[in-house]
Amino acid sequence: MSEYSIIGKPTRNVDGPAKVSGEAIYTFDMVLPNMLYGKLLRSPYPHAKIISIDTSEAEKLQGVKAVITGKDTPGGKYGLWRRFPELCDQTALAMDKVRFIGDPVAAVAAVTAEIAERALDLINVEYEILPAVFEPLEAIKDDAPLLHDDISNNINITRHVEWGDVDEAFKNSDYVREDRFIYGSQATASTEVHNSLASYDKGTGRLTVWSSTQSPYYLQLGLADALKMREGDIRVIKPHVGGGFGGKNSTMPDSVNAALLSMKTGMPVKIVYNREEEFTCTEHRTAMNLAVKMGFKKDGTIMAKEFKLITDGGAYTALGPTALYLTGTYATFPYNIPSYRYDGVRTYNNKMWSTSVRSFGATEAQYATEIQLDRAAHDLGISPIEIRRKNAMTPGYEAPGQYKVGSCGLLECIDKVEKRIKEKWTDLSKDEGVGFTTFAYMCGGIFNWIDTPYAFSGAMIKVNIDGTVDLFTQASDIGQGTNTVNVMICAEELGIGIEDIRLHPADTATTPVDLGAWASRETMMNGNAVKDAARNVKEKLIEIARMKLGENIVYDLEAKNKRIYLAIRPERGFSYYDIVKDAIKLNDGEPIIGVGHYTPHRKGMVSPAWAFGSMAVRVKVDREIGHVEVKDVIVAHDCGQPINPLGVRGQVEGSVHLGLGWGLCEEQPTDNGMVLNPSFADYKIIRTRDMPQIELHEVLTHEPEGPFGAKESAEGAVGPTAPAIANAIFHITGAEFSSNTLKPEKVWRAIREAEEKAKKPAKR
Amino acid sequence: MANINYRCPCCRKISPDTHDLARHYLGQTDKKHKDWLKTKGLSYAQLITWQVTEFGNKGYEALAKVLEKEATKVEI
Repeated sequence: MSEYSIIGKPTRNVDGPAKVSGEAIYTFDMVLPNMLYGKLLRSPYPHAKIISIDTSEAEKLQGVKAVITGKDTPGGKYGLWRRFPELCDQTALAMDKVRFIGDPVAAVAAVTAEIAERALDLINVEYEILPAVFEPLEAIKDDAPLLHDDISNNINITRHVEWGDVDEAFKNSDYVREDRFIYGSQATASTEVHNSLASYDKGTGRLTVWSSTQSPYYLQLGLADALKMREGDIRVIKPHVGGGFGGKNSTMPDSVNAALLSMKTGMPVKIVYNREEEFTCTEHRTAMNLAVKMGFKKDGTIMAKEFKLITDGGAYTALGPTALYLTGTYATFPYNIPSYRYDGVRTYNNKMWSTSVRSFGATEAQYATEIQLDRAAHDLGISPIEIRRKNAMTPGYEAPGQYKVGSCGLLECIDKVEKRIKEKWTDLSKDEGVGFTTFAYMCGGIFNWIDTPYAFSGAMIKVNIDGTVDLFTQASDIGQGTNTVNVMICAEELGIGIEDIRLHPADTATTPVDLGAWASRETMMNGNAVKDAARNVKEKLIEIARMKLGENIVYDLEAKNKRIYLAIRPERGFSYYDIVKDAIKLNDGEPIIGVGHYTPHRKGMVSPAWAFGSMAVRVKVDREIGHVEVKDVIVAHDCGQPINPLGVRGQVEGSVHLGLGWGLCEEQPTDNGMVLNPSFADYKIIRTRDMPQIELHEVLTHEPEGPFGAKESAEGAVGPTAPAIANAIFHITGAEFSSNTLKPEKVWRAIREAEEKAKKPAKR
Repeated sequence: MANINYRCPCCRKISPDTHDLARHYLGQTDKKHKDWLKTKGLSYAQLITWQVTEFGNKGYEALAKVLEKEATKVEI
């Protein structure tokens, strides 16, 4: 029997009823009295100098209340890498030149959205078109046009990591292989588009912004920098959010310009992107070129790995460098790599900037690693499962100077999936095959590029006289179930019911700082903060109970099932509700307050803990037309102690969905910086009826750093999906791939190439 | 016994060997570091491209050779 009352029990989302009944309020739904509608005028050119902007005709249009351009803004530069001022390279509106198609140059506020749209057509911008550059390696060249005058060679950031004697290890390898890969970008395709509502109070000089964001705190800082205001004078509220997937971490032009227009008019202003803007002018997954070299002993033991990476940064920094950093880290997961060298560069170019989309870095690194591993296993005559088992990370693994692994159930995950493949897939046809992969994912990032002086996560609890609890946390539920997880953690620690807790989430004016929903950090980091705050309250209640029992300090008390009692004699105790009343009376009538926080310490440079897993896919290939059908998926997943198994299942299914999209159909081709498929008619995502069955097995481990032993479950399963498909196709047909998005034409060509190669006599 | 270290020609960074100094050097994106390379007949773009597209440490090694001659040696 579980030691927990609430943790580990499948639990419906606390905000589920409001969402399914349509009562949940998103920023998109909000309307304030006297609210104006804002629109952005965007650049039609990828690179151009702004000679002049004439807004006079737009201002004359009836219903228009304000028009602003770069010269009307405070000109504050902002970005997420605030620790490095040179990487804060964005402004609310273009000041002197535009750097990608869609760079905003002016903003309008009007009484209706239609009038605001018409006013945009009346703004006359004179541009001097500049030479543009679109390819990362072209952008580095000495004669390439510069995007930012003070950044030569358009180099945004570089990274080098090395441990062990790499060259010597390659010399001592029996088998070395080199492969190169190219990946395109992927849209976040959130249901709710980017939108913000700003209301400035001219009397107090304070600003309130409601936004569809993944991090109210990051937005608060971004607005403070852009508007040159104090953080404390800006309140950011995150209502329900209809998906983020990494694209809503940055401060985007909708928020900044809604604020500026509200400051100018003294009226609330709302800016909502349309779907075309969403596809062309919001952050997307980073496109990459990479080269991988691995050395092995004959028995499949990995000796060394080298990883070279160029990322397609686009016009600005945002969170893009983190993708460069993490791809080089994930290239070492989840295997024992004794010697490793990584070099990466992110370059600016004249396209919309790229960022950190769900499973950022892991998806890209794992595609290369897992494909290369299968090819190596094939050449060495080892089974794909055995080569992974031989090299799998185990608990306590450490990458010198980089990261440490605590709990790790990878071997158990491999065993589980192998067992299920043998039991379940006994009837493969000649056009069917199995692809096998493993994965790992972080539980939040240790890096503090935002340069916050606060704890990474905080929580606050107020207990009322009737025992009800108000839980205040800035954790961002963007659909992944964080609200439910936090309520469950609070209830378990206090020994009360979920129904006793009222959650007050994501308002910078009333909740302690949390860095937001990225890198699967909320369960680990905010969960720990909530648990800490609840423990703080529990200790106060236990002291009262101890006093009433008259027991001395050596006797432990427990809070469980709405009672507080002696651990060794559970019958000796009191109702939680009675103890709360006594505690408040004895505390001079003050409500009981608990605060908690969490910041990782002594856990290396990357993440405090790592989740692991393995995956197998059953794939059918139509050799004549190249169509790929993913029929079935088996996942074994070590997320430590699952807090809410129902939520974990939802997250794994969502991860597989995104991985299938990146692997099979999602791409954003561009022509001279213009996105060619900016609508759901042309941008293909996996639909419900395309989803395979997913069999999920949780492998239980206990992560000492996690709340109740928990780890992440929100992103890990994205990464292994696409390479598992590519590996299955390789095993069925011999076709090899060096890119993602395995559309039928690409698969058909690869099969023909494999057939031609098979006809040629092997070289001696 | 004192160890020989190397001082970056453009800033105060001191490294235990020229390979490490080259690694520091190519991580700097400011004009001062890049301009110094030009005076030695090297291209920052070329060195970075070597480093991120070719296996091995070709970019660092090319720069380390120059730094071996040009960087001020410091006894620590």
